Amino acid sequence: MNVAEVHGSILREQSEPRDGCEPVPLWLLTLFFCIIFWAGLYLAYNSGGFRSDVFDSSRTAWAGGGATETGPVDPKVLGRRVFTQNCVVCHQTTGLGVAGQFPPLVGSEWVLGGDWHGDNHLVKIILKGLQGPVQVKGATYNNAMPTWSQLTDEQIASVLTYIRSEWGNAAPPISAEYVKAIRDKTADRTEPWASGDLQAIPAEKAPAVETPPPAPPPAPAAPSA
Amino acid sequence: MKPSSILSSLNPATEPDSLASHERAEIDASTRGPVLLFFGSAVFWLLAGSLLGLLSAWKMTHPGLLDSMAWLTFGRIRPAHVNIVTYGWAFSAGIGTGLWLMARLCRVPLMHSRLLVSAAVFWNLGVLVGVLGILAGDSRSIEWLELPGYATPVLFIAYAFIGVWAVIMFRYRKPGHVYVSQWYLLAAFLWFPWLYATANILLVWQPVQGSAQGAVNWWFARNLLGLWFTPIGLASAYYMIPKVLGRPIHSYYLSILGFWSLAIFYSWNGMHHLIGGPFPAWMISASVVASIMMFIPVVAVAINHHMTMRGHFDALKWSPTLRFTVFGAIAYTVVSLQGIAMAIPSLNTLTHFTDYTIGHAHLGLYGFFSMMMFGAVYYIVPRLVGWEWPSATMIRWHFWLVATGILLMAGSLTFGGILQGLALYDPTVSFQSSLDYAIPFRWLRGISGFFLLAGHVVFATLFILMILKVGRRREGPALFAAPDDDTSATV
Amino acid sequence: MNKLPVIFVGVLLTFAASWLGLVVYPFLALGHMQSVPDEDTGGYFPPTLSGLAVAGQRVYAANGCIYCHSQQVRPAPLSTDIEKGLGPRRTVARDYLRAQPVFLGTMRTGPDLTNIGLRQADANWLHRHLYDPRSVTDWSIMPSYRFLYKMRKIQGWPSGDALDGLTGPLAPPAGYEVVPTGDAKALVAYLLSLKRNYPLPEAPMPPAK
Repeated sequence: MNVAEVHGSILREQSEPRDGCEPVPLWLLTLFFCIIFWAGLYLAYNSGGFRSDVFDSSRTAWAGGGATETGPVDPKVLGRRVFTQNCVVCHQTTGLGVAGQFPPLVGSEWVLGGDWHGDNHLVKIILKGLQGPVQVKGATYNNAMPTWSQLTDEQIASVLTYIRSEWGNAAPPISAEYVKAIRDKTADRTEPWASGDLQAIPAEKAPAVETPPPAPPPAPAAPSA
Repeated sequence: MKPSSILSSLNPATEPDSLASHERAEIDASTRGPVLLFFGSAVFWLLAGSLLGLLSAWKMTHPGLLDSMAWLTFGRIRPAHVNIVTYGWAFSAGIGTGLWLMARLCRVPLMHSRLLVSAAVFWNLGVLVGVLGILAGDSRSIEWLELPGYATPVLFIAYAFIGVWAVIMFRYRKPGHVYVSQWYLLAAFLWFPWLYATANILLVWQPVQGSAQGAVNWWFARNLLGLWFTPIGLASAYYMIPKVLGRPIHSYYLSILGFWSLAIFYSWNGMHHLIGGPFPAWMISASVVASIMMFIPVVAVAINHHMTMRGHFDALKWSPTLRFTVFGAIAYTVVSLQGIAMAIPSLNTLTHFTDYTIGHAHLGLYGFFSMMMFGAVYYIVPRLVGWEWPSATMIRWHFWLVATGILLMAGSLTFGGILQGLALYDPTVSFQSSLDYAIPFRWLRGISGFFLLAGHVVFATLFILMILKVGRRREGPALFAAPDDDTSATV
Repeated sequence: MNKLPVIFVGVLLTFAASWLGLVVYPFLALGHMQSVPDEDTGGYFPPTLSGLAVAGQRVYAANGCIYCHSQQVRPAPLSTDIEKGLGPRRTVARDYLRAQPVFLGTMRTGPDLTNIGLRQADANWLHRHLYDPRSVTDWSIMPSYRFLYKMRKIQGWPSGDALDGLTGPLAPPAGYEVVPTGDAKALVAYLLSLKRNYPLPEAPMPPAK
C-alpha cells in the first residue's frame, strides 16, 4: 500500500476517543431507584409466589390458596365422559340403544323410575350386571349387561346422574354415598341380576342430593406483615 | 487486586491515549484482509437478504405469488430472509467492525489474521449451507435459530476462532485506559458463544421437553439482539461519534452505568415475547420488570451520545459516518423505549401476535444496527483500501433511500399492527377484520422494501467501486457538503 | 474498568444470573414434567400422538407454519382468547409435553391453532384448505400448499384418499383427482390432534354451563 495514500485518510483523523468526566445526573439516579422500588412491588404482587405451577399472575401465595382452584367437579361433565368411554358401545351416544339388542335409556322406566322400578334397582344393575329377558318400554331384550363395579362410586353416581338428565330425561341426581351404601349391601352377591330378582326387591328412591354450595371466591391478596 | 486499584480504574483517563499516524497505518494495514472479507460477505448477504425480504413482504399481500414450489413457500422464504440478514449481513458487518475497533482500541496490529480469514470462510459456508437447508425443508422452526443442525456447528467453529482471537488481542493490548467500546466488544464476544451453545444444545441437539423450549428460545433470541448486536452497535457509536467530532464522550460514569445495567437487566427480558404464554407467572413478571428496568441503560446511553453531539449537530450536514451513526443511535433510543412499552402486559394485549412486533424488530435490527454498520463501513473502508468513496452523491442516495424505507416500514407496520391488535382483542369482531385492517399497511411495507433494496444496490455498487479503486483520485474525504469548520474535515 | 478480570467476571456473573433463571430453571421445573393419568379411561393427559401426527410435526416445522399461526391460549383478562373461542381454557406448560419442537408461535396472521382439532374435525376440509385456501375461505391470505398434493388422472375408480369437493381455479379438470402425499396426510393428522379440552391439575376445565 502506498504510504502516502494511507497517510491521507489517517493524517486528518482526530485523536482516539476518550472519556469525559461529567457526573451522572441526579434525576437519572433518582429515577433508577424509583423504578427499582416499583419493580420490587410488581414482582411481589405478580409472581404467584414464585411457584412453578401457578400460571396466572393475579394469584399470589398470600391469597392462601394452593396452585389449583378446585371447585366441586361438575358431575354431568364426569358422567358424560364415563358414559362415552363405557356405555355408548351398546346404548349409543343417543341413548337409544339398538332395536332388538340393547335397550334404550331415553324415557326408560328402568332409568327414571316408575312401575316397580326404583333407584336402588338401577344402582344394583350397574354394580352386578343384568342378564336374561327384560322388558323396556314394552319391548323385550335378552342380552347380557356386564358388571361395572370396577368404576368408582363417584363415577357410577355421575354416569347415572348423566343418563337421568340427558336426552330429555328428567330425574333427580344420584349421590356417590348412595352408590356406596348399595355396594356395601350387595357385597356378597356375585351373580348378575335377572329381571325377576330385582322385581322381588321393593323399590326405593335415592335420597335427595344437596347441590354443593358454589366455591367461595378466593380471598383478596393481602401482603403479610 | 487491591481495592484501591479497582477504585483507581474507575477514574477516566485524564490524558487521551495517543496513536501516532504510522501506528494507525500499521494497525489498519493489518486488519485489511479479514475486515474487507467480512464486509464483502456482508454486502453480498445484504443484497440476498433484501431480495428475499421483498419477496416475503409481497407474498403477504399477494398470496398466490410464486406459491407452487415448496422451496419458495412463504414459510421457508421468511426464515431464510431472517437468517440471511441476521447471520449473513448483520453478523459479518458486526464482526468486521468489531475486529477493526478492537485492533484500534488495543493499539496493536491485528494478530493471527489467518485465523480470522478462516473464520470468515467457515462463517459464510455455514450460512450458505444453512439457508439452502431451510429452503429445502430442514428448517427447525425455532425463531432466530432455524438453521439446521448440520450448519450450526460450522458457525460455531467459525465463531470459536473469532472468540479466541478476541481474548488474545485483549490480553496483548497496549496497557492503559480501556475505552468503553472495548468493554462492549469484549462482553459481546464472551456472551455470544454461551448463548449459541446453550440454545443449540437445548433446542436443536438434545431438545428440552415441553414449553421450556419457548423459554430457552426467547432467552436466546432476545439476547442475540441485546447482548450481541446491541453491544457491537453501541461500541461503534461510542467510537465514531467522538472520533469524527474530536470531542470526548460526555460522561465516563454514564458509560459505566449504561454498560452494567445493560448486562444485568437485558438478559432477563426474553419472556416478554411470551406474555400470557404457558409459563409460570414469576418468569413472565421477571421479564416485565427487567424490560422496564432497561429504561436506565437506554437513557444513560442516549444522554451520553446527545450531550457529546450537543452544539455540533451541524456535523450531520457533511459527515456520512456521523449521519448514519446518529440515525442509528436515535433509532436505538426509540426502538428501546418502544420495546419497553410493548413489555407492559396491558399494552402487550394489543401488540402481541401482530405486525407491530415485525415493525419493532426491523426498527431495531435495521434502523439501529444496520444503519450503525453503514456508518462504520463508510469510516473504515477508506482507511483499509487507501481510496476515498468515489461519489458523495451516491452516499446521499443510499442514505435517503434506506432512511425512507425503514421509516415507512416501521411506521406502517406500527399503525397497522395496532389496528390488527384492536381487532384481535375485540370479541365481537371477526378474525377476517384483523386481516382487512392490515392490508393497506402491508402494501406500504411492501413498497418500503423497494426503497431498501434500491439503497442496498447503491451501497453495494459503492463498495465494489471502492475495492476496485474506480474513478478519479479524490483529495480529501467524500462528504455530503463542505464542512463549516476547517478542522472538522476529519472523516 | 481497566482490568480484564473485572470485566470478565462481571460479564460472566450478570449473564449467569439470567442463564440460571430463564434456562436452567425451566429445564429443571418444566423440562421434566410427566403426563397425568386420566382416571376414567386409564389414558394420560396430554394424550399421546399417533405416529402419523408425530411425523406431521416435522412437516409443520419444515414449511414454517409458525410464522403465521400461534399455538397458545392466553387467559383473561390479559386477552380475549377464550371468549373468542380459541379454546375452553388457557394452555399451560404440561400441554406441550408431546410437542417436538414446541410451536408456540408469535404471530396471528392466521388463526391460533391450539384447538383446531376441535374446531375442524373434518380431514377433508383441512386438505382442501391446504390445497387451495381461497377456495374454502375467500378472504384468506394463506399460501397454497399444493406442492404437498398430487394431481393425477383417475385410474379406474377414484382413489379413497382423493380430496372431495374442490372448487376454484386449482380444482382438477374432469377425469383427474387430487390426492395427498404422505406429508399432507401427516400434517392433517397432526392438525386433527391439536385439542386441549382435557383438565390438568394446574389448569382445570371451566365448569360446564
